[in-house]
Amino acid sequence: MDWEGKVNAVQEPGKGMHAEHTASLHLPAPTVWPMVLGLGITLIAAGLVTNETISVLGLVLSSMAAVGWFRNVLPREKQEQITVPVSAEAAAQASAQPFRSPHTPVLVRPAYSFVSGIEAGLAGGAAMAIIAIVFSWIKFHSLWYGINLLAAGSFIGWTDAPDSFLSQFHPQGLLAALAIHALVSVLVGLLYGAMLPIFPRKSLLTAGLIAPLLWSALACSMMKVVSPILSERMNWWWFVLSQVAYGLVAGAVINLRVKVRSAEFQALPFATRAGLHTDAKIGKDEGRR
Amino acid sequence: MSAHTAVLTQSTGEWQLPDKGKVGMICLIVAEAAIFIIFVLAYIFYLGKSLSGPTPAEVLKLPVLGTVCLLSSSLTVHFAVTALERNAARLSALWLALTVLLGGIFLAGTAVEWHELIYKYGLTIRTNLFGTTFYSLVGLHASHVIVGLGMLGLALLFAVAGKLNGSHAHRLNVLSYYWHFVDAVWVVVFIVVYGLGR
Amino acid sequence: MMPPQTAGAMTFDSPPSHPKLWLDAVNEWFTTVDHKRIGMLYIGYALVFLLIAGLEAAVMRIQLAVPNNHFVSPQVFNRMFTMHGTTMVFFVGMPILFGFGNYLIPLMIGARDMAFPRLNAFSFWISAFGGLLLYFSFIGGDGLYGAGTAPDVGWFAYAPLTAKLFSPGHSTDYWILGVFLSGIGSVGTALNIVTTIVCMRCKGMTMARMPLLPWLYLVTSAMVFIAIGPLTAAQMMLGFDRFLGAHFFDVQAGGSAVLWMHFFWIFGHPEVYILVLPAFAFANEIIPVFSRKPIFGYSAMVGATVLIGFISLGVWAHHMFTVGLGPAGNTFFTLATMIISVPTGIKIFNWLATLWGGKIRFATPMIFSIAFLFQFLIAGLTGIMLSAAPFDWQLGNSYFVVAHFHFVLVGAILYMIFAAFYYWFPKMSGKMLSETLGKWHFWLFTIGFHLTFDFMHIPGLMGMPRRIYTYEADRGWAVWNMIESIGMIFQAAAILIFVWNVVRSYRHGEEAGPDPWDAWTLEWSTASPPPHYNFAEEPVVHSRRPLWDLKHPQAPDSDYE
Repeated sequence: MDWEGKVNAVQEPGKGMHAEHTASLHLPAPTVWPMVLGLGITLIAAGLVTNETISVLGLVLSSMAAVGWFRNVLPREKQEQITVPVSAEAAAQASAQPFRSPHTPVLVRPAYSFVSGIEAGLAGGAAMAIIAIVFSWIKFHSLWYGINLLAAGSFIGWTDAPDSFLSQFHPQGLLAALAIHALVSVLVGLLYGAMLPIFPRKSLLTAGLIAPLLWSALACSMMKVVSPILSERMNWWWFVLSQVAYGLVAGAVINLRVKVRSAEFQALPFATRAGLHTDAKIGKDEGRR
Repeated sequence: MSAHTAVLTQSTGEWQLPDKGKVGMICLIVAEAAIFIIFVLAYIFYLGKSLSGPTPAEVLKLPVLGTVCLLSSSLTVHFAVTALERNAARLSALWLALTVLLGGIFLAGTAVEWHELIYKYGLTIRTNLFGTTFYSLVGLHASHVIVGLGMLGLALLFAVAGKLNGSHAHRLNVLSYYWHFVDAVWVVVFIVVYGLGR
Repeated sequence: MMPPQTAGAMTFDSPPSHPKLWLDAVNEWFTTVDHKRIGMLYIGYALVFLLIAGLEAAVMRIQLAVPNNHFVSPQVFNRMFTMHGTTMVFFVGMPILFGFGNYLIPLMIGARDMAFPRLNAFSFWISAFGGLLLYFSFIGGDGLYGAGTAPDVGWFAYAPLTAKLFSPGHSTDYWILGVFLSGIGSVGTALNIVTTIVCMRCKGMTMARMPLLPWLYLVTSAMVFIAIGPLTAAQMMLGFDRFLGAHFFDVQAGGSAVLWMHFFWIFGHPEVYILVLPAFAFANEIIPVFSRKPIFGYSAMVGATVLIGFISLGVWAHHMFTVGLGPAGNTFFTLATMIISVPTGIKIFNWLATLWGGKIRFATPMIFSIAFLFQFLIAGLTGIMLSAAPFDWQLGNSYFVVAHFHFVLVGAILYMIFAAFYYWFPKMSGKMLSETLGKWHFWLFTIGFHLTFDFMHIPGLMGMPRRIYTYEADRGWAVWNMIESIGMIFQAAAILIFVWNVVRSYRHGEEAGPDPWDAWTLEWSTASPPPHYNFAEEPVVHSRRPLWDLKHPQAPDSDYE
């Protein structure tokens, strides 16, 4: 059937011919690397106006994306095969379902529980607190310095407090710091719990290095607004270290629960990993990364 | 309708359109050329407007060796493409290696020149307008050489690994367009900076 | 309201209701290389920024509504007009036009995708991230006034105000980087569009049979290469100045501030035509369909477009008459600017001749297009006035100029973007937009537009400079500014109706079918929304109106070629 016949079939289904065969054609497969490259280059630029860490991260992302993109095109372009309906009814159906083959998800159940995210957050937060206390002890010979520094953002009077003041024990400082730290830790833990199952490959790298670096860089650029005193007196190398500790512990906790790093888990289709289950066959366009 | 179609299908006959790799590369070259033109214009506009020394006449020497190397690398990359088109992968790899070597010599020449300018004559991008425009223009060109060398080097790696064959001749040809462009820009830069500017 | 349906109204079975897996959907949109999805990403992203930049305009109008107002601080006002201009040009105008181009061009020329699908995705994302980076300056930028400072140097960022000395901190750097990144994306997309048009046309679609929209996009994209380059180069120079201590625009070291103006406007004026040519392209598709006549003077249209492209590269310094270019420069740029009204005039007469004797259907896309004709004419007339150097010496940098270019950018471009939206939304979503709401949108917006921008000419003639924070009551500008600000309320209401129309019609709109307007170009030959692969079989084309040939096999256009 020629093109004109096909158009008539789409536009006037009654009059269309009823050929029963299908044709197949190839379209470029979806890929995430162009977006990652865009993000990487933007982060390199953003690092110029915020913090070098962001540029480093951008460079890492860009190089990963460049390699990924290259392997997407060479030695052979990755394509997905699409079966094109040729009969009139099938053409009409295709227009109703343009982007995915018709299949019905029967079961929607989350593969990850909130509990694991919260646990990961608390465990990671504890690890981070330990690093912070070690830092306080080494630098200021006080267990309380880091805690008071975190709390200082919420007490206006503490803005210009001397280091000696921050090295003493203050009950309200401990309370405020505990509240801030627990809240942020749990929120980030939930984020980890959601993200790691979605991107299970190289989860150790994601959890232990990339996420902490990204978070540190973001914190560093925002801190001037959120808590000027913290931004001034924080030692960023120690901060990154504590973030890495957080990331490793939180990642480990989530792996205990979800077994993110196991080969079976990584073989699951995206929708299932993301906590949404379908009964669809895993076709070429379904197992896309 | 079908009779009608038949008549017209005949008239359309062979349907050939230009190759998209080449067209895309030409578009990129036009866009890049626009950037270079602005930098060249800025260089010419600021000729002799520096408030302090050193001046181009005092410190610039003709980079003869680098220029010869870079221009001849245009020839070698062309031979690499024709060799690959004839499916002579080994020969192509040889020509590619020579191209990378010649490009490398050019870059090394630029590095030596910059080192001398900075440490002997104290000329940096902050010194005066000459330094500002010189390092920007030559640096922009050098960065394009580096990108081109990177891609040619990649092709060379694949060639050495034996992964390059006649089916890649087309891609290598598109890449060679970029390399010819980089060379052509150097001709302009050479005339403006080392000819007109001194 | 559905126009009379000739090609056989068709009803698709409503799709079986699958609960959409949202995370899966997010993944699909992030990884897509499909030109239709990228086009829609572009359009959606541009609409969000349209609302943001519109809000910034509203803040300015409130501030200027009455004399001696202190609704916002002068610093905030500076940020508002800088971000409004930058956003509207780089993050609304360019992306929305590229969005439509991305979506429509492969469909119109019978291709399955763009020439470089992955580059296409990359171009979108880097532009999008560039916009986010620019807006991050509201939180993370530090400038003269401490943390959280957005750029405040005007959208053309004149030197030496941008020097490190006068713009400390990083707010200006955000402007450089954000716009620089979007420039990379623009060049990428333009490259893609040119290559697609040159190399991907379906069988039989010679250049002379190509619809006018791809033709105009071809010229626009070619201009993008030549225009964005100078901006990118100038921004690199400014970046060298600010980050490395170079002296390109440092007047203390012999650098020239006027050079920046030249470089900026070598980009800036072609940019106006880059934005307006796609608007012309929409008019070229919409006006014939709703006049039920083929476009008048196809080849004259193409010729005029190419001519505009060329001439627009040689008129930039009419933005700089007040600098003092000398008699030769003034004469050249005055004449060049006046000559450009010849090809634009050809276009206007072609559209009028297309309307002449046509069976005009006043659907929403058409009424927006007709308003566009009138408003673009007025914009052109004030443009000719301003092109005369002595006149410009009086009114340069006044509200007269602001009124003039808003007639182009809003009265012409935004109107045609709305028209395009009403025209192609059925193709993109499969649903018609509501005609009733569309008419409300049109009339409210038109009233608001004319209240704001007609009356803006007057304080301009009375000497009100642009970019001023506030003014004294005894100047006599107060009444006019109040009227302008009232117009803004109408425009805001119209935009809200538009947003509501899009949301409501997407959910409950009338089914569109493949060809709701009885049009003639290839995109209407496939389903709405088109399947992933666009055309099950590649089309073969025999004339400029392939779908007309199909619908009228007894009298096809191809008989007359």
